[in-house]
Order: sequence, then C-alpha cells, then structure tokens
Amino acid sequence: MLLELDHKAYCLEAVQKASYRLINKLTVQISTNEKSISCDIQMNDGSKIDDNLINAFKRELLDQQLRVQIKKETEDQRNLILAFAFSKTGLQE
Amino acid sequence: MSKFLPFVSYQEQKNYSLLPFKFERLDDKEVILTNMVGQYALISRDKLENLVSHNLDQSDTDYITLRSKHFIAEENDKNSYELLSLKVRTKYSNLRNFTNLHMFVVTLRCDHSCQYCQVSRQSENKAAFDMTVETANKSLDLVFQSPNPSIKIEFQGGEPLLNFDLIKHIVQSAELRNVIEKRNLQFVITTTLTLLTDEILQFCKDHQIYLSSSLDGPEDLHNKNRPRPDKNSHQLFVKGLSKARDVLGIDGVSALMTTSPLSLNRVKDIIDEYVKLGFNGIFLRHLSPYGFALKTKSYQAYGVNRWLDFYKEGLEYIIELNKNGIYFTEFFSAILLSKILTSEDSGFVDLMNPAGIGIAAITFNYDGDVYASDESRMLKEMGDTSFKLGNVHSSSYSEIFTSDALLNALEDSFTLSAPMCCDCAFEQYCGADPVFHHATFGDYLGKKPESEFCNRMMGSIKHLITLMEKDSETKAIFMRWVNKC
Repeated sequence: MLLELDHKAYCLEAVQKASYRLINKLTVQISTNEKSISCDIQMNDGSKIDDNLINAFKRELLDQQLRVQIKKETEDQRNLILAFAFSKTGLQE
Repeated sequence: MSKFLPFVSYQEQKNYSLLPFKFERLDDKEVILTNMVGQYALISRDKLENLVSHNLDQSDTDYITLRSKHFIAEENDKNSYELLSLKVRTKYSNLRNFTNLHMFVVTLRCDHSCQYCQVSRQSENKAAFDMTVETANKSLDLVFQSPNPSIKIEFQGGEPLLNFDLIKHIVQSAELRNVIEKRNLQFVITTTLTLLTDEILQFCKDHQIYLSSSLDGPEDLHNKNRPRPDKNSHQLFVKGLSKARDVLGIDGVSALMTTSPLSLNRVKDIIDEYVKLGFNGIFLRHLSPYGFALKTKSYQAYGVNRWLDFYKEGLEYIIELNKNGIYFTEFFSAILLSKILTSEDSGFVDLMNPAGIGIAAITFNYDGDVYASDESRMLKEMGDTSFKLGNVHSSSYSEIFTSDALLNALEDSFTLSAPMCCDCAFEQYCGADPVFHHATFGDYLGKKPESEFCNRMMGSIKHLITLMEKDSETKAIFMRWVNKC
C-alpha cells in the first residue's frame, strides 16, 4: 500500500526511523518529492497488509517526529552538559 | 467560592527549557521518559505532547517531578545543568579504570557432558587442552599492565579444577607480583564443585578464593541438564556445597542456573531448590547462542518470548517470597534495577556501552590466544575468530588493546550511534553486546527490531518498571535489592 505523508508534518529522518523500527514486520520503500514523502509498504512475508501494523507504523511516525523535535531542541544543552561533565578529566582535546 | 486564590496564583510563571531525554511507549496511554543518566519518569502520551510544546503548566502534578529529575530546567536555572553534568561524570567514571575482569581458561577438559554447554568442552583426558605454566606467566604479565586498581582473576574451563596445579601457580605468582603492585586482587574459580578436595578448599581459604558454581534446580532437572557417567551431578554438587561452605563460609560459594528447554515449566521448583539450599538469590539466566547450545539445538528450542514468560513467572514468585519475609534476590533484575534506580553500575559485561569486551573483561584461552570476552572464545570454538585480539606469546599489551578486532567492534556497536538504540529510552540500562550480535547476525550491530537481545531487554525493563509503578511494596523490595548495606 502507498502512504503519502505531508512533508510539513513529518521529516525524512522520522519516516526512516519509523520504518527501521518495524523492519522485522514491514518493508518500506521511501521516496520524496517537493510536497510529500511517499511510503510504499509491503509485509515482509508477502501477505495482505495488516491494518494493525499500518496503525502501529503511523503511531511510530508520531513518536519519531517528536523524538526528532526533542533532539533538535536539546542539542545545545546536551553538548553543554557533556562538555561540563568532562571538563576536568583531561580527556577532551 | 473560595475566600482565597489558589497557591498557584501567587507563583511566578516561568518558561522552561527541555533537557535531553528519550521516551518509549509503555502501553497505549503511558510513556517512559529517561534522562541522560537513566532517571525515569512516567507520564501520559498526551502530557508528553504538552511538555514538548512547552505548554506544561507549573501547577501540573508532574511538573516538579520532571524538573527535579532533570527533564526540564527553568530560566536561569544553572543548578540543573551542573547537577546533571555531575551525574553524567559519575556514571561514566568507571570507564577510566579499564579492564578489571581477567579470565583464565586453564583447561577445556570437563567431567560433565552438558547438552547446552556453551564452551565446547573436551573429554577429560586430552591434556592438549590445558594451559601451560609459560602461557599463564605471559598472561599475568598482561594482567598487571591494566591500570585498574582492582583486578579480578577468574578461572574458567571446562572444569578448572582438572588443572588445579596451574591455578595454584597463577594465584601464588599473582600474589607475589601484587606485593609491589598493591592492587585489590580477587580470585574466583568457576567449578561444578564435584572435584573439590580438602586440599583444594584449604588453598581457597588461605588465598580468599571464591567459588562460582552451577545449579539448575531440583535433582531430576539438574541431572538431566548436567549429565555425568554416574548420573550423580546434583548429589556431588550438594556434597561439595556443604563441604565448601564449612571451610569458606556461606558467602564463599555462589551458584548460577541456566534455563534449558526442560527448565521452562519448572521455575518455582528451581527457585525452591535455591531457597532450600540456603542461597539468597538466583540469576534466571537464558541460554546463549554458543557452543553445544547451538549444536544440540538447545538454544533454538525456545524463543525470547518464552524465556520472558519464564522470567516473569519466576520474578512474581520471588516477589511473593520477599513479601512473606524471605529475603531473596533475582540477580538479573538487580543488575537492571541498579541502573534504573541508582547511579551504580555492576559492570556486567553484556550490559555496557561502550561494550565491556576488552575494556571491562578479557579472556586468556588455554592456548595463549587472547579473546575480548568469555563468549568470544566460545565463538572461536565454533570457528569464528572475529574477537581474537592476539596471543600472549607474540602480542604486546598495546597490540592487543588497540587491535582492529577490538576497536572496530567497540566503535561499530556503540549504542549512542546505533540505529534505534540512539533513540531508545532504555539505552542507559542496556548494552551493546557485539559478540551476541556477531553470533546471530554476522555483524557487530545486528538489526535491533529482530534482535533477541533487544527484545529481551525491552521486555524485562518494561516489566520491572511496570511492577514498581503498580505496587509500592514491590518497589521497596527492589530498592532493597540494589541498596545493600
């Protein structure tokens, strides 16, 4: 099945990570154009698409998008804390 | 109508910043958040959206928790950054010490013929599988080059007591070197206890050597799992245990169990046997994909979900024992709980990132080959030498510890840059385990969604957190397991 995602709602990184998380069940081929990200989704065993798995994939997309947002917003804090933590160890160049 | 405005009306509303954290769904409604050092909080998925959108109100019941556990920091709140930094530094401080555990495979010979043996033991009379004095001395040269102030030497086999003269030599030589080195030196012999003699026990007592043994459960199960020619493994174990405790004390001997296919429906019987024999805990240990465990298809006989059911049933029973006044620990849970609830890390090699291979533990095989861990030499017996780091007769300390075999495995399996692991809320509690993934996927990383290791860890950690959150008495028991006086 083909799932079209608005690229303003989801970034490519989130789509890739969501696809990876379900790699044991689904094979997702990702392509992009100016407006959207397309996911061509197949079951790994070639059987008919399981709607429960598609819903799980959609929930995972939401989680991954949120993770990307948190990671981006906290990047400076993460670097500051790590720099501070190891500031007296002599391990930093 | 109230006569006064609520307290919150007098509070100054402050903006907050997010501090780095990760999350996983616990179920359809709740998510587990973990911060940079593994402190966790449970909130609803809806509240998570509010939190990330900076719409979480100061009056919210979770606001103080999230602030005190360093998930958010208010404006000009420098203390949160400093405290979190201090905790990060504490968490990683052990890394600087480098290798602590040094395993000596003094022989591959064994008096047992266990179906699930992960070592690929040899029959008793093949002296070609014994370590020589020369190899032991060269290995000791390398041991004392570790910068770690604590050095643990563990004798492995086969059955190490079949080469007891060499154990004596290594212990005495290490102690002699330690007069100058002044390390905290410890010795452990991993043994079935069946070959213990008065002379061996006296030597163990004189040199403060601990014994680590194997007990798989009640007599019938133990003897089926661990066959000997006289079918008396359990009887010899009990006799050896009693004898060893008489000389070394009750804490001088510990036991490990292995979950064979026959164990799966017997978890309560197994735990009862440990309680009956006076042990204060048990490690509900799954089989690993090495040696005869693969050859005899013992490893393939049950999957991770079946083991999780076994583990959960056992844990429930152990919690009940504790609630009834019997202090008894499940050690696998205790390792995870100490990561979840404290800043301590037991240094369990499989559950470390960077992986514990080489930098926390190293193995000197009977033939002088050096392997990155005990499991690595098990892989070698199956023809996979990916984790061979050198040989004590021809390689220097620096060649061994800067070998591509070690550094590539550490780098490629590093969880903070591994797909899925880098975003996983349980990364702080988990580990890289490149040896397991090499054995099952053929590379250091594997595919985590398909990895039994990943599924086992996710299942265990979610279960432990759920148990704690559902029942305060269980949480108190778990706290006792990790905060020993």
